Amino acid sequence: MSETIDDATGASDEYEQYEAVVVGCGPGGAAAAAALADEGVETLVLERGVDAGSKNVSGGLIYAEESAPYTIDGLFPGFREAATERPVTEYQLHNVAGSQVKSFDITDLHEHDTEWSDAVLRRKMDSWLAERVHERTRETGGGLLTEVKVTGLLREEGEIVGVTCEELDPIRAELVVAADGVNSELARDAGLMDWEEPEEWFQGVKAVVDLPDGAIQERFGVGDGEGAAHLFSGDLFDGVRGGGFVYTNEDSLSIGSVFHLDSVATELAEPHELLDALLTHPFLGQWLDDAEYAEREYSAKLVPDSKKAALRSPHQGRLVVVGDAAGQMQAQGPIIKGMNHAVTAGGLAAEAYAQAKARGDTSRAGEFYERKLRDEGVMEKLRPRRYEVASALGEPEPVANLADAVVDSAVGRFGVRLLGDRLERLYSSPALSMMVPDTRTPYVTLPTVIAEELGAPVDETNDVEPPELADRIGDLTYDTDVGNPHIELLDDSAAASGTAVTACPVSAEGFGGGCYRRETVASNGEREEVVSLDTQPCIECGTCAVVAETDWEHPRGGKGVEFEEG
Amino acid sequence: MTVALDPDEHTVAELREAVGEIDDPDELESILAAERDGRNRTTAVDAVEARLDAVREEADESGSGAAADDLPFDPGEHDVSEIGPLVNEIEDVDTLRALLDAEAAGEDRTPVKTVIESRVEKFADEGEEPDADELDLAEMSAADVGNAVQDIDDGDVLRGLIEREEAGEDRDSVKTLVQNRIDSVEGEAEQELEPDLPPEEKHPELDHPTADKRHVRALEDGSYGDMWVYCETQAGDLVDVSREMLGKARALMDGYNDEYDADEQVVAVLIGDDVADLAADCVAYGADVVVYHEDARLERFNHKPYAEVFCDVARWGGDPGAGNPEPADWRDYDEPRYVLFPATNNGRDLSAQVQAELDSGLASDCSGLYIEDAVISNPVKTGGSNRTFERVLHMKRPDFSGFEYSTILCLDNPGREFHPQGASVIPGSFDVPEPDPEREGEIVERDVALDDDWFRVEVTEYDQLEGGVDLTGHDVVVAMGRGIGDDPTRGMELALDLADCFEDADVGVSRGIVTGSYQFDGHVEQYTAEERQIGETGQEVEPDLYVAAGISGAIQHKVGMDDSDTIVAINTDPEADIREFSDYFVEGDLFEVLPRLVDALESGEVDMAALADGGDSR
Repeated sequence: MSETIDDATGASDEYEQYEAVVVGCGPGGAAAAAALADEGVETLVLERGVDAGSKNVSGGLIYAEESAPYTIDGLFPGFREAATERPVTEYQLHNVAGSQVKSFDITDLHEHDTEWSDAVLRRKMDSWLAERVHERTRETGGGLLTEVKVTGLLREEGEIVGVTCEELDPIRAELVVAADGVNSELARDAGLMDWEEPEEWFQGVKAVVDLPDGAIQERFGVGDGEGAAHLFSGDLFDGVRGGGFVYTNEDSLSIGSVFHLDSVATELAEPHELLDALLTHPFLGQWLDDAEYAEREYSAKLVPDSKKAALRSPHQGRLVVVGDAAGQMQAQGPIIKGMNHAVTAGGLAAEAYAQAKARGDTSRAGEFYERKLRDEGVMEKLRPRRYEVASALGEPEPVANLADAVVDSAVGRFGVRLLGDRLERLYSSPALSMMVPDTRTPYVTLPTVIAEELGAPVDETNDVEPPELADRIGDLTYDTDVGNPHIELLDDSAAASGTAVTACPVSAEGFGGGCYRRETVASNGEREEVVSLDTQPCIECGTCAVVAETDWEHPRGGKGVEFEEG
Repeated sequence: MTVALDPDEHTVAELREAVGEIDDPDELESILAAERDGRNRTTAVDAVEARLDAVREEADESGSGAAADDLPFDPGEHDVSEIGPLVNEIEDVDTLRALLDAEAAGEDRTPVKTVIESRVEKFADEGEEPDADELDLAEMSAADVGNAVQDIDDGDVLRGLIEREEAGEDRDSVKTLVQNRIDSVEGEAEQELEPDLPPEEKHPELDHPTADKRHVRALEDGSYGDMWVYCETQAGDLVDVSREMLGKARALMDGYNDEYDADEQVVAVLIGDDVADLAADCVAYGADVVVYHEDARLERFNHKPYAEVFCDVARWGGDPGAGNPEPADWRDYDEPRYVLFPATNNGRDLSAQVQAELDSGLASDCSGLYIEDAVISNPVKTGGSNRTFERVLHMKRPDFSGFEYSTILCLDNPGREFHPQGASVIPGSFDVPEPDPEREGEIVERDVALDDDWFRVEVTEYDQLEGGVDLTGHDVVVAMGRGIGDDPTRGMELALDLADCFEDADVGVSRGIVTGSYQFDGHVEQYTAEERQIGETGQEVEPDLYVAAGISGAIQHKVGMDDSDTIVAINTDPEADIREFSDYFVEGDLFEVLPRLVDALESGEVDMAALADGGDSR
């Protein structure tokens, strides 16, 4: 530090000054910070968790793309040995109708443009990255501070000049990298992001399931350095649009479900029950033993749909936004890639800053960053033109219903039978995957019809009994900020905020131990349905910010939930 | 040549099987090329390449060995990601260097070289001390020698090097470098101290030189021993930080006695009114000796008399440099070696005064402590040369709101001693140890005549701050949960009615009530506030009887009441979690069960049948 905080008098020119401040030490922030340090830039990284990764959840696969200018192991040598679980050597898609399942091998699609892909658990991965980031940023006069929550942008005469923090005085910087995740408070402070449209979001819910030594090799038929990925779609989830996944870690499984948030909201679905539907499906009986079944951790997160939410200009003034914070999460059919794009974006942001600095005007970093995202093909992956054309046709309600009806009709079913195994080729087409519209047809109707027409009944049984929601919450670690709730319910009427009772992954209708609860209040002789909120069980996913009327912030540094797997 | 196999027409598994049959590298190459031009599947490419490798290896084994055979593998044939695990199996530095050269000559990938280099460094680092005999000083530049000696920790070996240099090239620069290393590993030989000079002679350049400040009661060549802990009390009990410090002091002195083959003690100091009873507690938490002084006038903390008493005790039996040493049979040193105070309001107040009076320093608000030797080079402390200070208490304190730490050392100056080495300790920095009631210790009363002048500040009035509601310590706690939802006000009234049936009872609520939207009438609303919440984020209680009405028993609630002697739960849901840790479970509506329970208690007849009836018989 160039001067002590004690000496700061509050006048803005007395604030700490760094060349770059990176907010958040997930893969996007870590990549940006490491690349900045490599450019010799004095970089301070601020992370609100007690440890990097303690606030972070992902489904569990990280990719290194052949076409990408940056990969995580390129930026962090030794990454795969130290920070990942198993590589994906086998990738399958299962279409489910009742207990009928038709499986396609989509390893080809998975390997398209893939240098490697590994399953990860974020606490382990991010905390390893953070150590490297600290070492490298220290070299150039910066470093990593944990348990510091950045609350917003520091502005002077309307210009962004740094960040404000809960725990420290404001910090000035030439470059502010917002890598603060899907619920980015910086992107929202800048007016670049909002929480308005449920259609722009997915909600993922995950359980990390413990397995005995050697069980993965045996049950998945993989060797020591190998692993499998399985995707599920069809009628598993009562018509809620979305799918499920099973990924193999070193000695555990990441099992989760991901849904369109608008579908979760309108169907009044309970996310933990959707996950349970997957966990208890007979098909998973081959991997899970009901006697030994034990969950290490229950978690959830909001996932931006880059097709709709990715920022085309993820910058403003001296602020650049990377990763989930900028909506850079590619979820297009069976292609689910987020962390790799965050890494690329982080690297490009650093490169852009170095370029701007070389030209003598650091304020142009954002402009260069946007251009690089486009030139390197990142934006085309996040917002494919094919999808924009197809969705113009495919997403409006009447057309979607028609497509549904056709697939489900005798003619459509005949077509499915006729196509038979050629469907596998079709599923394996990256181009097709990137243009599928977000209607029921690809997620529910088509897989269901495929399974019904082509599938074989599952002969495994599965008697797994997943834990109750109360136990899942009880097993999580919290450091509750007593008396200082981070979410405020602005409108407690059932009409405005009632959806949160079902959509929140740690709340449920008729369950009193969650965040959101429905209560009947008698006042002035009238009985009224209201919603109450207790933020203690909150896992900071951000769902309620979208589906309810709230004033939503992250908890203070180090407070709130602490994920141990992630 | 025709391509025997079009990889496009096969799945990876089929392909793997098919190429397994092929022994001709050229044919395999063409399949590989076809795959790369076609679908270019990573696993397919791998399969063909693996076969190629196998075929070539067979050929190599039967044919001539190439130069590359010296290497365990050819880095050029592996991805960056594969290199790491391979390299990590190699421990031989020469082999690693050979690999590095091979990579540099081949693909020259930076990440690969980094991986190998870090492995080389690891083993170069892990290596034994370089053999000084093998250092050919004549061949080395001064800088080379400087680097080489950084790995040598043995002063005799280093002196041997100096002798050899003197016998050889005799370069001053080399000898200085080696001497520096000796100094840093051994600490420099004690320097002759400058004699104390009058200020005019010492600072001739100044107009009005003044002497360094001297304390009249400073010690010279004092003897020091033990770690002293000032044990603050409140309301007749030790405050937690006192227990924490005793536990830490115990651990530190056990380590100290081992390290320095000494037999020094932990001394607890108690000052106040009626504190002798706490001496046994101090011993149980780790003290070897407890010194106390009691006086009715010391009931509340008072800066002057507390500081006087503490200093008197600290000097008792020692040689204060002035006045008459009074013998103490339990100790044989002049002043404490170390002192710990709590960094509470009173503890900070006391610590500053005491350490000033004893002519020492203070590291305030510390959160970490350890004792070890320190090699110091400092103009004031050592005249700039290296010197080893033994048995130094290292006192870590948070700076910058806790984002950085400083380690404070309290060291003697030449000609002036700074003891006791003192710190105040932030409450909660250390764990409260498990008390051992069997521990034995010496308890000593110190009689001090309190001067009336010391009481020039008088406490005329004091008030206990409203610390909210304390639910701990009651015989009975009645706790209400969301089961009151149908009529929240009536539910709380029933809880108060039930509490009134006992001599010492109070009412608590679950978090569901505190964060709920229930509307309460004014007369019961105060009982539903957060200050009455029981559970993880509220109070933890363990009464004789805990009545939980309409509480489901989430884990967060359980941790707040699980240690109660008897738990009675009332709930409409027979599956409620609370049943599992209740001694008695009444299945029923609290609005029916509680009135009957109250009636039964008031009439003095507990009619279990009626109670059970109200609870739909269970």
